[in-house]
Amino acid sequence: MKMRHVFYCCLLLLGGCVTFAAVPPGEVQLSGLTVTPQNSWNQAPREWTRLSRRDAKTWTKNGILLDRILIIPAVPDGEPLFLQTSESQALPRFNAGMLPNELAEFTESSIAKLFGEGGAVVETSGLRPQRFGADKGVMFDIEVKVSDGPDYKGVAGTLIVGNKLYTIIFIGAEPYYYTESVDEATALIKSARVAIPQ
Amino acid sequence: MLRILCFVYLCCSIALAAAEMKQAATGANDQAESSKLAIPQPRIPPGYQPIDRNTEKGLWMELEDYELSIQQSALLITDEPINAYVRNAACRVAGEYCGDLRVYVMRNPGFNAMMTANGVMQIWTGLLVRVSSEDELAAVIGHELAHYTQLHTLERLRRIQSNLATSSVIDLLIGLPLSQMAAVANIMSFNREQEEEADLLGVRFMHDSGYDPRAAVRVWEMLVEEEANAAAKSEAANIFTQTHPLSEQRIQTISDFVEKNYPDAATTTPDSSSHLAILNRYYLLLMEDQIDTNRYGRTETMLKHHRELGVNPGLIDFFYGEMYRQRKAEGDLERARQAYERAIQSDDTIAEAYRNLGYIQLKLDRPELARARFRKYLELEPDADDRAMIEFYLEE
Repeated sequence: MKMRHVFYCCLLLLGGCVTFAAVPPGEVQLSGLTVTPQNSWNQAPREWTRLSRRDAKTWTKNGILLDRILIIPAVPDGEPLFLQTSESQALPRFNAGMLPNELAEFTESSIAKLFGEGGAVVETSGLRPQRFGADKGVMFDIEVKVSDGPDYKGVAGTLIVGNKLYTIIFIGAEPYYYTESVDEATALIKSARVAIPQ
Repeated sequence: MLRILCFVYLCCSIALAAAEMKQAATGANDQAESSKLAIPQPRIPPGYQPIDRNTEKGLWMELEDYELSIQQSALLITDEPINAYVRNAACRVAGEYCGDLRVYVMRNPGFNAMMTANGVMQIWTGLLVRVSSEDELAAVIGHELAHYTQLHTLERLRRIQSNLATSSVIDLLIGLPLSQMAAVANIMSFNREQEEEADLLGVRFMHDSGYDPRAAVRVWEMLVEEEANAAAKSEAANIFTQTHPLSEQRIQTISDFVEKNYPDAATTTPDSSSHLAILNRYYLLLMEDQIDTNRYGRTETMLKHHRELGVNPGLIDFFYGEMYRQRKAEGDLERARQAYERAIQSDDTIAEAYRNLGYIQLKLDRPELARARFRKYLELEPDADDRAMIEFYLEE
């Protein structure tokens, strides 16, 4: 009997092993947000993205330290872009009345906190309007300098629909991984559409 | 890796050390006998090299790798004027130990300075943005230098090793998530006696090099004020917040030490001109990093100090506008508008003040005023990287 319990425990443990799941090309729906990747990506298990919101997804091609797309749908008014594990983190909170400059600043400050306050300097630039279907949004470029890692560059798209924030962020290590995927990631961001369930 | 080694080896994280002091102080008598205020003596000569074959030489070897990682860090500031300013202050306060130091200015909005056992000193930009004069900068450097000359890191490492089954502290710590590093740093921080010794010897270094020893008192007073403001806004929650009583005790001890040993030290107003020049030159970089921390109580305290210090008013008002605009407390929108309006009246204003005032006017539903500010922004900054966004609003 005991051996059987041990066997089941082992089975459960093995079943809990974290694995990346393939994301094939084609339409993907996430909490009212639809994106259409042109090529395959790999979805990171939640264990690898502990600061992600519950309905957020992280995709990568070569590993999340080299390149990643963060898809963060439907952030309600007053909530942060990432999970806040303690008040001392002082994560900025989304406000449904944010203007484009504030959305870029909000994303910038949130990413800086994601890398660890003081552990990275994040700068956004190239703020520009972007249509996501019928909805108005913005896109902007990102640069991340990390104290003990590679430099990153990236691009982000963000829009507010129904007082909720939808954000897609791509960052890739400079120079190779950013260059390799930036065009594809930009197309993926531009493919974003929000359909609020009635 | 850099961050891990940082926590393991660095001689001092002042905030964390303060917490260690508080723990050590629990249950201890509040002694301030005059014997404790005697002038400490450095334990090692200039040009010191490691003696202990195992722990000390091993530590130095690891620290050589660590220094290499600092040199390669993207957050190392290489701009010469700011490096020259910090390096000169460090060399002056170090005196005959100057040749033992390698000084690195790191881009980090936190208040911190650190020194390793082999002479690598890091100064964070968050320290530069908080102190008001070269004397105050020298006070922090003197404190760190004292940890170096008293071999406090080595003592600490030996203390840790004696309590561990493993001979390698690194073996124990590598692989820990960053969120647990604060706890590790707490274990590794200096004890109360070491901190007090560094405080007092640091003051001696300052006095001997011609700096105002009372600046050490002013640094601690400034930090206490910042923590009080941060706590009042429920945003601090760092370990330093818990140390007000001890910080006040620390201030008193340093003050008593100065009065006892250096009663003739100058009491004139400190010369802030060299520090002010650095702040004005790098203010955008320094304060943008601070704004990104989202810690508005601290930012507001700094801006108040900077205005008193004489930082260019156009820059001060611009960052007041940034702080109010992002804080979004009741009345902040109007406060931000007024701050930006003051900023654009200043001779030393920046184009971004017009742009952000334009966004404020949009929020206040004044599109014509917004467009006027946006047009001025593009006039001043025709190659602005957000030109497409601004033109969108001009054409809307």
